[in-house]
Amino acid sequence: MQGWRKSLAAVSALVALGVLAFAATLASAHTTAKSAGTLNIMGFGTGDDVAETRAAIATKAVGATVNRPSGSFDDQQFLAAVASGNAPDVVYLDRQKVGTYAAKGAFQPLTNCIKSQKINLKQYRIPALNEVTYKGKVYGIPEFYDVRTILVDNNVLDQAGVKLSGLDTSNWPRLLTTAKKLAKVQNGKVTRIGFDPKIPEFFPLWAKANGVDILSKDGLQPHLNDPRAIAALQYAVSLVNAQGGWDKFKAFRDTWDFFGSNNEIAADQVGAFPMEQWYYNVLAGSSPKVKITALQFRNKKRQPINYETGSAWAIPKGSKNPTAACTWMKAMTSTSTWLATAKNRAQIRKSKNQPYTGLSTGNAVADQAIYKQTYTSINPFFDQAVKKVLDVQRFSFNIPASPASAEFQKAWMDAANRVLAGQQTAKAALNQAQKEATRAINAARK
Amino acid sequence: MSQASPVQAQGPAQPIPPAPPVAPQERRWRPSARPLTRALYFAFLAFCTVLFVYPFVWAVSASLKPREEVFDNRLIPKHFHPSNYLDVFRGVSDTIYKAQFGTWLWNSLWIAVLAAATVTISSALVAFGFAYFRFPLRNFLFACVLGTMMLPGVVTLVPTYLIWNKLHFTGPGTFLFLSRNQYPLWAPNLFGSAFYIFLLRQFFLGIPRDLFEASRMDGDNYWTMFWRIAAPLAKPAMIVTFVFEFKASWTELQKTLIYLRDDGAFTVPRGLKTLLDLYGPSAGGHGDYQVILAATVLATLPMIIVFFLGQRFFVEGIATQGRKG
Amino acid sequence: MATVTATAPGPHLRVRRWFAGFTSRETWAAFAFLSPWMFGFVVFTAGPMIASFILSFTDYSIIQTTHNVGTANYRTLYHDPDVRTSLRNTFIFTVLAVPAHVIVALGLAAALARVGRAASAFRTIFYLPTMTPAVAIGILYLLIFNGSYGILNRGLALVGISGPFWTTSPHWVKPGLVLMISVWAVGASVVIFLAALMGVPQHLYEAAEMDGASRWLRFRDVTLPMISPAIFFVVIINTIAGLQTFDQVYTAFFNASTPNGTDSSLMYAIYIFQQAFRFFKLGYASALSWVLFAIIAVITAIQIVVSRRYVYYEGQSK
Repeated sequence: MQGWRKSLAAVSALVALGVLAFAATLASAHTTAKSAGTLNIMGFGTGDDVAETRAAIATKAVGATVNRPSGSFDDQQFLAAVASGNAPDVVYLDRQKVGTYAAKGAFQPLTNCIKSQKINLKQYRIPALNEVTYKGKVYGIPEFYDVRTILVDNNVLDQAGVKLSGLDTSNWPRLLTTAKKLAKVQNGKVTRIGFDPKIPEFFPLWAKANGVDILSKDGLQPHLNDPRAIAALQYAVSLVNAQGGWDKFKAFRDTWDFFGSNNEIAADQVGAFPMEQWYYNVLAGSSPKVKITALQFRNKKRQPINYETGSAWAIPKGSKNPTAACTWMKAMTSTSTWLATAKNRAQIRKSKNQPYTGLSTGNAVADQAIYKQTYTSINPFFDQAVKKVLDVQRFSFNIPASPASAEFQKAWMDAANRVLAGQQTAKAALNQAQKEATRAINAARK
Repeated sequence: MSQASPVQAQGPAQPIPPAPPVAPQERRWRPSARPLTRALYFAFLAFCTVLFVYPFVWAVSASLKPREEVFDNRLIPKHFHPSNYLDVFRGVSDTIYKAQFGTWLWNSLWIAVLAAATVTISSALVAFGFAYFRFPLRNFLFACVLGTMMLPGVVTLVPTYLIWNKLHFTGPGTFLFLSRNQYPLWAPNLFGSAFYIFLLRQFFLGIPRDLFEASRMDGDNYWTMFWRIAAPLAKPAMIVTFVFEFKASWTELQKTLIYLRDDGAFTVPRGLKTLLDLYGPSAGGHGDYQVILAATVLATLPMIIVFFLGQRFFVEGIATQGRKG
Repeated sequence: MATVTATAPGPHLRVRRWFAGFTSRETWAAFAFLSPWMFGFVVFTAGPMIASFILSFTDYSIIQTTHNVGTANYRTLYHDPDVRTSLRNTFIFTVLAVPAHVIVALGLAAALARVGRAASAFRTIFYLPTMTPAVAIGILYLLIFNGSYGILNRGLALVGISGPFWTTSPHWVKPGLVLMISVWAVGASVVIFLAALMGVPQHLYEAAEMDGASRWLRFRDVTLPMISPAIFFVVIINTIAGLQTFDQVYTAFFNASTPNGTDSSLMYAIYIFQQAFRFFKLGYASALSWVLFAIIAVITAIQIVVSRRYVYYEGQSK
């Protein structure tokens, strides 16, 4: 019968075509767009004016074609690129990740880059630099510096007859009483949070307030089950439990219209909570009439402390244009660039009748210059907040770079969540976290 | 078919059920005779509709609100703000980024059409092979087909990427007028896909063998049997395959993350992620959810249209299956 | 057709007949039809699968040099408490999700079959959730399932039920996910079941009615057996998918603000992803994946064996 022959012929033709196509692909001229004049960036697509002003300056400084596909840094994307030998020339990512990638040899040390381009490391804030330093070598150039202050809703305090001193975080018993006074639980639902300790996210802050660093400075020794850390977690959880318990607490918090005009401050839904500084800018835009106060977070010895995070630039191993990458990073974070950016932003904001609360750049020199030269008063409340943000920056601490930062973070976050859910005591949870973190870091260091 | 095929001596009942979900004849609606019952069913369905449709309605409503009101829990926006949809294209607040949403929609469209068309044809061919013929290793090979569905894709992601890289499809440039980076998103469908092979095989098995017997006696070859008899009878299933794969391709994000480099080559989900990175709540971000939701609605509409159109053909296909044999 | 009788031929003859099968025209034709899949399998599927299997015996991390570690990954896996947690979560989810999915889909399809042509509009509506991008689902999950203020609990309160804390209570996270992922996204299965229901020959129902069978008996003894192949298909597909649940759970629980989710929402597939791309342990992730593969293969095999008893073969056999 010809039937099967016909189908066989048809399919063979298809297969032959396919094979031909693949052969053609392999033989075809593989156009390389990688000349000495190209810089491939991963993790920094087109953004807002703060990003674009600096990008324009840096592009000019580099003088090459700059490719910036959009989207933030994605581990999968990066790993796939590295695996196929197509690593980007420079990457932009969360500072906390730099240590791990550095420990695994994915990033190059920037020692030569810093020397040859004469990058002045002293202009960057020390905690930010520490975050990107592993085994004594710098692997990243820091950008942005998110610090945390306590945002207070004056209305809520007035209504409950509570003074600001009640929110002093150096006095834990008094803070607990204040929180209970400010909180409102009605009909089995939380209708107002007194003081939100922001755990699990800010657990390192509470531990430090109690006098312990959850990770040693060299990034190799976790101290998660130090008795002071355990006490800190216990206390923070007790704050939540005193205000309705985790379920109700979180359910209420999830309803906050964080970026809207009826946000939790405008609607008096919370007394106070620690928050990153960029939120002041959001508030000034969405609800400028709120009466707020910014307080510094204090440790038990009444010293201001503050936990900082941010982004960084790094050069992957296998980068085809490390010189241009280095020029780019320097230009993006230099004082003059930041200043030009801030001036531009202040102007844009003014023309649109929108508030401007300065920038927190990670470059200490730039911060001061920006505040002096570009900040104009909004109203007494926000002015105080902006000034406070600037003041607390020098009291920041960082989580050190470690070879297993993701696993380390998972260990303590999971522990905090388990305690919040009532599944474990703080001691048991942190003991477990300590074991997991130690094992992960030891396995990762080489 | 071979009368005394030695293959039939092979083992006892196969481990895979052959029965089909539909017989080719006698497909019918069975509306209830009594109007009251019908009304009750209608009411029940209407209630379910509300449950199913509410999130989407919420998304549409929120996409028409100004930023400050997105989460205000009103179904009808207090202030109508349709310019959000324009903002998707031209950028909003401080962002200078101009999303090429039109290009993304176009990319998603033809990639999805290619993916769906190729997988339908190729899977039908393979499914017919498994359904109709008897041959050695048939069960083993079908088990392999099923097996490909059982390994989580996460760990084959990078090895697959490396293969495409060796074939030069991860760099810049075009091949046969189509952008190279987009081939990994649809080209594997040229070779069938386990899910649809399984599905179509079930349908093909429902076709009575006498139909094929008759055509063999008329002198037809295998290809004719497939093309003239099997495929038309399984048309509803093939349309279902097309629609399902269209949706799968339209909503695919993971592959686009690692294969697509260029903004101009993005598909809609990849573009959505960019918008989310830009406008979502993050350090300094504004949480412009209204733009994200507008983009989400824009992203979903074409699929809804395709599905609605597709299933009308599906219904027709079933309705015309009156003939027997 | 000639069947094999009790006097089975001896092993030599059987083997010879089996090999002879390869020369039959039918076999060649079959392989011709199968060739697209076979080509793709060899080039694109088998390669990566074998690669990942080999990698499971190494400490592959892409960026560091790879070393052979033998069965160390599998041994670690055996003792890893997160593996136990995530497997348990995944199993509980699947065991809850698959029956719920099948029952709801079947119920909706049955109702749709009863309303005639209007079903088209409904069918689109029921399929809508599967087309909603993950972004929107992630946002909406927290809104709808909020324990104190979400509309789900407010709706339940209307009928006097005090709803639990779906998003935070360890006992209710998975049922909540089942509702959102499996029940809400029944659209595809409704489509399949509806097609199957419409294929049940009317005369069977008429015969049953004449015998005096009640509605329930007609459903149990006519409908169910006739659509059992479709049920089988949906069960297998959803079991395999359920055991690999990732997308929606990841969006709802593992987003930027809570990158590590919670103990009760850690699904096995998410754990694999974390190991691969957050902790750079692709070797370990590969070992985890192959364990899941084995589990799925065993469960599917069991389902197939069970199906031989319950799935009714219609049309042609074998």
